[in-house]
Amino acid sequence: MNQQQKSGNDPIVELIDVGVTKLSPTGQNVVILDRISFAARPGEITGIIGPSGSGKSTLIRLINRLDEPSEGRILLNDENISAIDPLLLRQKVAMVLQKPFMFEGTLLDNLQRPFLFRNLTPPSDESIEITRVLELVQLSTEMLVRDARSLSGGEQQRVNLARALISHPQVLLLDEPTSSLDRPATARLATTLHNICSSEHLAIIVVTHDLYLAEHIVDHLIYLEQGKIMEEGAGTQILAKPQTAAFRSFLTEPDRNKEPSS
Amino acid sequence: MSNPHIIPLDVIQLVYAYGLILLSLALARLQQIGHEKQLLWASIRMLFQLVAVGYLLHLVFAVNSPFPVILMLLAMAGFSLQVAGSRIKKRIPNFYRVMGSSIFIGCGGVTFYFCLVVVGYTPWFDPRYLIPLAGMIVGNAMNGASLAAERLSAEMHERREEIETALCLGATSRQSADQAVRNAYSASLRPTINTMAATGIVALPGMMTGQILSGTEPIVAVRYQIAIMCAITGAVAITSFLIVQQGYRCFFTDAHQLKGEG
Repeated sequence: MNQQQKSGNDPIVELIDVGVTKLSPTGQNVVILDRISFAARPGEITGIIGPSGSGKSTLIRLINRLDEPSEGRILLNDENISAIDPLLLRQKVAMVLQKPFMFEGTLLDNLQRPFLFRNLTPPSDESIEITRVLELVQLSTEMLVRDARSLSGGEQQRVNLARALISHPQVLLLDEPTSSLDRPATARLATTLHNICSSEHLAIIVVTHDLYLAEHIVDHLIYLEQGKIMEEGAGTQILAKPQTAAFRSFLTEPDRNKEPSS
Repeated sequence: MSNPHIIPLDVIQLVYAYGLILLSLALARLQQIGHEKQLLWASIRMLFQLVAVGYLLHLVFAVNSPFPVILMLLAMAGFSLQVAGSRIKKRIPNFYRVMGSSIFIGCGGVTFYFCLVVVGYTPWFDPRYLIPLAGMIVGNAMNGASLAAERLSAEMHERREEIETALCLGATSRQSADQAVRNAYSASLRPTINTMAATGIVALPGMMTGQILSGTEPIVAVRYQIAIMCAITGAVAITSFLIVQQGYRCFFTDAHQLKGEG
């Protein structure tokens, strides 16, 4: 109902003063995320970049309730997600984890899994559902019979995406989607994500340490360090003019800024 | 009370038997395996433990009351739980609660069913029957229970990516842990199945041998052995089932979130 009342530019996901504190093995409270606030809009890709251990992955895991925040609120269509059944929430907020995991069986078996988990009749190989997601991730229908575990890393990442998109989510969370991909595969995935975001009118939130994604497809970029948002703004804008020394240092690390070869 | 069929062993005969331990010690030293002290210590421990249990049983047999019998059974279960706990390297969360309740229900239920319905002696607490039968059931079920708990813990750790992928796709905790639960349960039953299949061919079981030595007709001893094997299998199956069913839940929150490790 809320969604119908909202205009296209209204945020679909809002984080308000979200914090995560965990107990260290020595019994001390460690702040993982500190008063994080931002919004993600449909048709927009939000990128979260930052060094390892800055809290990026923890942050997106909160949005589909794989983890819980210690404080603050996360809203989906203005509704606090803590009030939404996690199983229902994960239909609306899909997530692709860093390492692509393929269940035993064919590519089709993998695409049917979400339906089986929800006790629904899985779609057949010729169904609109299957052909729609295969088109979105640019995989051919001939691949449906292939053993999912024999696919290449890039193909598995596409299956992961297709599997996440099959439930018509409103938000897509991606945790380091290019970490196991080479540059050409990264470039292809970036194009795919950009197309999916436009055609499905999804809000995509992508965690990455890969500047190629940040430069080429991200609309709204957040730089996170030690659990705090250090910089935030339009992707190209803040990449061109970093304001803090930490962000400048991050951007100039040797293995960043490589253009993918085609 | 003395059985005319059995030859009582006096101290001298036990000293002869201990000669075999000395021989084992000599062989261990010859092979330089470095376990001589452990072997000697274990043999001394066995001596004192068995003598103590012998006198304790003598006392319990003399008192015509269910309380010392029940107390002894609880102590046996407690010790075996302690041994299992110290043997398992990576325990499931709430290890003692899960194991304790499963053993109490699984082994307790099977023991009383076996004693009251299958054997059907009176009074129900007769220690000559209840203590050895319960000891065999708990001792064997504990092996299966330890395997179930240990394997479940390992599976949940190794399958973390698979489980979180399933949760992201809308699976419940149970659905996401399905393979881990099945593998752990299967591992817990395997030794019992193997023992049943090999009984009578590879080795004559201890209870049957003991009965035959004490003058029981072999056919009667065989019937007892068959019945106790059925009871052990039932106890392992029920106890392990309760462990995996309770155990996997301890890895998740109510919101179908996989708890952090460590």
